[in-house]
Amino acid sequence: MSRLSVLSTASSIEHVSSNVPRPPRPSILDRNLNKTRVADVSGSAFSFLFSELVQYTQSRVTGINDLERRLNTLGYRVGSRVLEITVWRAESSSKAPKREIRLLPALMFIHTHIWRAVFGKPADAIEKSVENADEYMIVDNDPLIERHISVPKDFSQLSCSSFTAGIVEAVLDGLCFPARVTAHNTPNSQYPSRTTILIKLEKSVLEREEVLKT
Amino acid sequence: MSHHLFILSPSDTPIYSLTHYSTKPAASIGSPLSANLPNWSTSAFAGTLTALSGASSATQHTTGGTVRVGGGQDRHVIQMIANASLDAIEDVMRKENGMYLKAVDKFNEWTVSAFITPGNSKFLLLHESKNDEGIRSFFVEVWEVYVKTMMNPFQSAQRTIVSQAFDGRVRASAKKHL
Repeated sequence: MSRLSVLSTASSIEHVSSNVPRPPRPSILDRNLNKTRVADVSGSAFSFLFSELVQYTQSRVTGINDLERRLNTLGYRVGSRVLEITVWRAESSSKAPKREIRLLPALMFIHTHIWRAVFGKPADAIEKSVENADEYMIVDNDPLIERHISVPKDFSQLSCSSFTAGIVEAVLDGLCFPARVTAHNTPNSQYPSRTTILIKLEKSVLEREEVLKT
Repeated sequence: MSHHLFILSPSDTPIYSLTHYSTKPAASIGSPLSANLPNWSTSAFAGTLTALSGASSATQHTTGGTVRVGGGQDRHVIQMIANASLDAIEDVMRKENGMYLKAVDKFNEWTVSAFITPGNSKFLLLHESKNDEGIRSFFVEVWEVYVKTMMNPFQSAQRTIVSQAFDGRVRASAKKHL
C-alpha cells in the first residue's frame, strides 16, 4: 500500500512539471567532468539505495556465495568507471599522462586515490600476506557501505563489502593486474565492522613484476 | 593524406573506427617500389598486393579531385596493419608508463601511434606524416569524450560506440588537430 502511494505522488509530480516547457537536455558530452569532483552524495540516500540493491540481489540468488558474487559483479561496473574518471581527473591536464605499470604503486593508488574518490577517505591499511606471495589485503576499519547494515546470524559469512571487492577487482583488471578479489569480515574489539579486502593476484602478474624488477 | 582511428576495447575488439581525410597538404613520399611494379589491375587481389607492397600511387582512387587511400578497396589492408601493430603495442605498454605511445609501429608509409586509457582501452591511429604534438592533442580530446561516454551506465567498455554525438566530437577534433 505504501508503495502505491509513493507511485502516485511520483506521477503527479511528473504531471505538474510536464506543463512547464523544459529546456532541451544537454548531451552528456557537453558536461564538465570536474564539476562533481568534490560533490558528495547524501549518506542516507546511498544507504537506502544500497540496501535496495542487496535486497534485490538476495531475492534472486541461491546462497551466500552467489550473493557475494553478484554484489562483486555490480561493484565491477562501478569500479571500471571510477578508474577511468579518477585517472582522467588526475592526469588529463598533464603534458604526458601516465599509467601505473608496477604493482605496489597501483595498490597504493587504490588504497589512497580510489578509496578517497569513492568513500571520501583513504583505506586504513594495506598489508602483504606473510604466507602467500600473491596475496595482498586492504583493510577498512569502518566501511561506509556497511555502516547501516546488520547481517543476521545465519548469514554470518556474508560480507556486503563484496561490492567494494568488485570495485577493486575492476581497477586492478583495468591496470592489467588481473586478480580475484574477495571481502571478509575481520572484526576486532575496537572496530566491530572491520573488513579485509583480500586480493589474490594471478600468476602472470608476479612473473611480470619479476621481469620489471631487473 | 588520410588518418585512420580505431578504438579497441580492453579485450581488443574494435568498438569505433574513423577515417579522416586531412585537408592539410601531404608531404609527398616517393615510393620507389611502385615504379617497378607491373600493372596489377587484372588480378583480383590488385588492391591488396599493391597496398601491401607500399605502392600507394597505384591504388589511389580519385574521387572529386581528392586522393583517397584506405577508405575503399584496400580497407582490409589498413585493418590488418592496425591489427599487426597490437603486438608491438603490447610489448611497449608493459615497459613504458606513458599513455601516449608515439610511433610504436611502422609499415610501409604508415606509422601507428597509440594511446592506452587507464582502463586498458586502446586508441590506434594510422598516419603517414609526423605530427606528434597534433596527435597527442587529438588523443587527449578523444580520451575526454571517451571517458564521458563510458560514464553512461548504458554503455560498456566492450560495446560498440554508436553515439552520433561522440562521432561528431571525434570528427571535430580530428579536423582541428590532424
